Amino acid sequence: MRASLPRVSVIGLTALAVFLPLGLIFYQSMLNAPFFMPNKTIGAGAFEFIFADSDFWDSFKNSLVIAGGMVLIAVPLGGILAFLMVRTDLPGRRWIEPLLLIPVFVSPMVLAFGYVVSAGPVGFYSVWAKQILGGVPWNVYSLTSIAIIAGLTHVPHVYLYSSSALKSLGSDVEEAARMTGSSPFQVARDVSLPMVTPSLLYSGVLVFFLGFEIFGLPLVLGDPEGHLVLATYLYKLTNKLGTPSYHLMAAVAVCIVAVTFPLVMLQRHLLKNAGKYVTVKGKAGRQRPLPLGQWRWVAAAIVALWLFLTIIVPLSGIALRAFVSQWGEGIKLSEVLTLDHFRTVFEQPTLVRGIVNTVLIGVVGGALAVACYTAVGLTTHRRNDGWARFVDYLVLVPRAVPGLLAGLAFLWVFLFFPPLAPLRGTIFSVWLAYTVVWLAYGMRLVSSSLLQVGPELEEAARSVGATRGQVNRHVTLPLIRFGLLASWLLVFMIFEREYSTGVYLLGPGTEVIGSLLVSLWSTGGADMVAALSLINVVLVAAGLTIALRFGVNLHD
Amino acid sequence: MKHIRKAMLGSLLTLVISAPLLAQAQVPAGYPANYADTIAAAKKEGKVVIYSTTDTASANPLIKDFQSLYPGISVEYNDMNSTELYNRFISERAAGGGSADVLWSSSMDLQIKLVNDGSALAYASPELPHVPNWAVWKNEAFGTTYEPIAIVYNKRLLSGDEIPQSHADMMRVFTQKAEKVKGKVTTYDIEKSGVGFMLITQDSKHNPAFWDFVKALGAAGPRFQSSSGTMMERISSGENVLGFNIFSSYALLRAKKDPSIGVVYPKDYTLVMSRVMFASKGAKNPNAAKLWVDYILSKRGQTIVANQAELGSIRADVEGDQTLAGLTKTLGATLKPIPVGPELLSFLDQTKRLEFLKHWQQAIKGSK
Amino acid sequence: MTKLAVQDLHLSYGDNAILKGVSMALQQGEVVSLLGPSGSGKTTLLRAVAGLEVPLRGVIQIEDKPVFDGSKNFEVAAEKRNLGLVFQSYALWPHKTVFDNVAYGLKLRSVPSGEIKQRVDNALQNLGLGHLGDRLPHQLSGGQQQRVAIARALVYNPPVILMDEPLSNLDAKLREEARAWLRELILKMQLSALVVTHDQNEAMAMSDRILLLNNGVIEQQGTPEEMYGRPQTLFAADFMGSNNKIEGTVSEVRNGATLLAGPGWSLWGESRGGAKASGSKATAMIRLERVRVAEGPGENRVKLPLVTSMYLGDKWEYLFHLGEMRLRAYGRESLSTGEQWLEIPKNDLWVF
Repeated sequence: MRASLPRVSVIGLTALAVFLPLGLIFYQSMLNAPFFMPNKTIGAGAFEFIFADSDFWDSFKNSLVIAGGMVLIAVPLGGILAFLMVRTDLPGRRWIEPLLLIPVFVSPMVLAFGYVVSAGPVGFYSVWAKQILGGVPWNVYSLTSIAIIAGLTHVPHVYLYSSSALKSLGSDVEEAARMTGSSPFQVARDVSLPMVTPSLLYSGVLVFFLGFEIFGLPLVLGDPEGHLVLATYLYKLTNKLGTPSYHLMAAVAVCIVAVTFPLVMLQRHLLKNAGKYVTVKGKAGRQRPLPLGQWRWVAAAIVALWLFLTIIVPLSGIALRAFVSQWGEGIKLSEVLTLDHFRTVFEQPTLVRGIVNTVLIGVVGGALAVACYTAVGLTTHRRNDGWARFVDYLVLVPRAVPGLLAGLAFLWVFLFFPPLAPLRGTIFSVWLAYTVVWLAYGMRLVSSSLLQVGPELEEAARSVGATRGQVNRHVTLPLIRFGLLASWLLVFMIFEREYSTGVYLLGPGTEVIGSLLVSLWSTGGADMVAALSLINVVLVAAGLTIALRFGVNLHD
Repeated sequence: MKHIRKAMLGSLLTLVISAPLLAQAQVPAGYPANYADTIAAAKKEGKVVIYSTTDTASANPLIKDFQSLYPGISVEYNDMNSTELYNRFISERAAGGGSADVLWSSSMDLQIKLVNDGSALAYASPELPHVPNWAVWKNEAFGTTYEPIAIVYNKRLLSGDEIPQSHADMMRVFTQKAEKVKGKVTTYDIEKSGVGFMLITQDSKHNPAFWDFVKALGAAGPRFQSSSGTMMERISSGENVLGFNIFSSYALLRAKKDPSIGVVYPKDYTLVMSRVMFASKGAKNPNAAKLWVDYILSKRGQTIVANQAELGSIRADVEGDQTLAGLTKTLGATLKPIPVGPELLSFLDQTKRLEFLKHWQQAIKGSK
Repeated sequence: MTKLAVQDLHLSYGDNAILKGVSMALQQGEVVSLLGPSGSGKTTLLRAVAGLEVPLRGVIQIEDKPVFDGSKNFEVAAEKRNLGLVFQSYALWPHKTVFDNVAYGLKLRSVPSGEIKQRVDNALQNLGLGHLGDRLPHQLSGGQQQRVAIARALVYNPPVILMDEPLSNLDAKLREEARAWLRELILKMQLSALVVTHDQNEAMAMSDRILLLNNGVIEQQGTPEEMYGRPQTLFAADFMGSNNKIEGTVSEVRNGATLLAGPGWSLWGESRGGAKASGSKATAMIRLERVRVAEGPGENRVKLPLVTSMYLGDKWEYLFHLGEMRLRAYGRESLSTGEQWLEIPKNDLWVF
């Protein structure tokens, strides 16, 4: 296979960054003690233990249910939302867009907690429902509710991938469908969305992966009724045997990777057959929004319902909690309002430093990460050889490892590999961990931008004598600059709320908002957690709005 | 607030007294004369690295005071949860890389395990005579706080004899007041929480009717949580009405702002937890570590521990409600401190632990 | 000298064989058209020469230096072949000005910037684009974009310029003018050009030689006159020009002439293609303009019913029925329906 030095070295570095932590985890799963202990032996004991543990199978089943539910909910909703926002004349598109992204940058644990305050057994919506209906018709702690909430909060992920793909279609395909008599919904179902099958497929697989990895949501909502998922099972394993049992955790991670691997293969197989959807030849014509006509209000209702369930319900819960001293059954809201929590939050000595660090790692770290993702994306751009296939698997696998274990794995990488050891404790180690773990997410954003560049433009550059590297630098990258900016914005939001991946690499001076939140939470300061989260949400939303105002388009 | 002003006055006095001595290494009263060498060596080291489960906000007064006492020694304070502390320490130790000089964790059994594995520096602190015997093991591990474990309830929703006053009383409330508490009792998920597990095993030692208690708990439909924060949040809101094995230090802190929270010290026996501290054998700054340990165990440090960090003091000569002295006055012999020692290791044995967990699960589920 | 030589080129997309053994040569100063229906492989051949597709077997040489040799697994990357390629969609880089689009090739060749300016300005002038240097591609008309694409491909003086359907994106009116202008430009600049087109008129007007591709092989190649006047196969005959097809049975073969017969008629024609056995089926072709309406009976004439006449502006077109077949002819005046005599000159009727 023709492989140039830059391409191979990028792939090689990426492979190293992925295999070091992953390899340690695999190795650990085959031992009976931490791998750095002298008295360890190799065996299948770890697997025997978890396979004999009914909790493991329960949590596996629950994770499957939740992941499946997430895909079933997030993919169609995300696709429809993308269609409505990008292809139609839905009213209020401009201000809906930043709202759509809120679930991306709010910590899932905080979001879950918001649901408890709003819709929990004594949440204020529930209390109102009890007064009006006589009872509470929903239960946020049931497995179904967890799956539904997880699905709804992952709609933005599907939205992001589908919308950028939809942007590159010409209007003629839809206009042709309208002429045959299709309603906008039929047009979406039969024409537009099928044409972005690769994006929908990819985001479906990614959402399924994320379903295996989610932790904060099932921790807060799953504990009361004892619903375990793999990540909370992992959390249990840290204490069940007394001392943290790395080999068991590693064995669970290996099982998760084993499940997700065939998923990637399935996705590639499906994409091969969907090749007919990928070629969008010629000039993408002028894009005219599809008029919704009388369907406007149905569409607006769908969007409003999603906004209500996914954003307004939990955020109002968080906001309320931030402003009251107590809440729940028998409390009159007007009597308990207070600003004390905000006062206490602002008195936290590490708050300002935490905010600054978070912004730094989000902005600067995010930009560097996008640069890396672009480099990796370019190695698979327009190639379908063995290297490209290898990179496909390579990037998805790190996301399969739950954050709890990924953080530990990265600590080990920085501890036990001499060339990297001096970097431990620097912000670089945290950045590297984040970048590797979110590789699949960030790279795909860049890849879909890359796909929008007409191949002829690159071929024309080659025909006048540009090497592949020059083509990338002079033609491809300048043409995707808006896509890169959008990726940067989104990676910023992801990094900004991250915590578990870097927990062992953070220290005083490098703490971030995520670690502050967890620290406050563990001492029972749910009120301050709410206040800090609200500040966080407002800051990021403000930053997002400013960025969008200043012309950073999430599409170009 | 009386005790804050008292503490401030105390610190001011100390500052005034020690001001002329600040320029040189001052040896605290009652310490051996060669302590000055330790101080000098510590100043050369320049910093002390602490891994701790006590959150930074609570520890800040201690850090500031320590730094005013020993200027030139900076405190690098890392706060994390007990699992993270354990993981990080053993990994770093195995790799030979830099790690903590002092470990301070509320997970008593894990700390004892680390000490038992030979991680601790043997150090006979000059403060040891003032610390109860049960709080010291081998001069390597030291209990530093005095935190009773309490029953917490929702004041709005429970009243009168619905509020249990002891463990036996809880059994009565579970069975006789079932309609009030069914599905609304909470405690630690002992599989997820190491601290929760340890407290339950201590209950099994002190409660003569322990397994009956567990069965009654099971019949009441318990909701298990993984942290005291979520427990108290749910008790305060009324989603749960009763919880036990909760740190009184957190509960009282919460009760100050939240009128819904009520705290009861069980009258049959009240467990007392103590955060265990030890200096690492491989510490890069061993002398600074010694200074910190001594400081925390000293009267000056313990006063702040009790009154500003609000963790309860383990010294008998520190005044206050939340100190060993104050609580012994009110509760006396029902206080059952968990001894800092090798008995904590017994349930870290995998077989024994799983056996107990199985028994627990059966008792909880069995009475449906 | 031979600017471009292709020997026995085979190329497949997966299992689909596109080129099944194509050989050709392009001499200095020649314009050669690759002509054929869609799917014949003409664009694939062009892209293979450019280096944008990788063949399975065969040899490609530019100015006698090999750039592809299947037997030795030898391949020169597209960017190193120093060819000029004009895309059907022009493929102008939307983020660069017209000047930068044209100058890019020179920049890559490390030409000093003063010289770049001179050469680019020159190229733009030659193509009538002198005043458009600062514009962006989306601000130009289709015709102007085409000329920028040509300028870009020429500015670094490649030995061969490759063009993929250069005129198909232009309006019909513009196309006729453009093909004249394009030929003039190529001659003036003494270029050697390989042009892909599906329009036989365009091919004949512009080229010195035409290569007719059918299903991955070269059906016939020759000058436009040879292709039009002496097609060697039915396909070649049918592809060029407007034709009448007459099907019948071979009744007699004599000295290079064949007597083709059908129910109620028989016509002598010139034997083309392979030998025909008496009694076998054969198809004959005659160009529309060779059929003449006659006044009365005569040699190789048939009497046929005239169905309708169509006015085309410069001539009339008549539609006749011959049994099940339709025949068309041209003429000067309108004719009434009814029977007419048609002369089918035997030298112009080719029997395949």
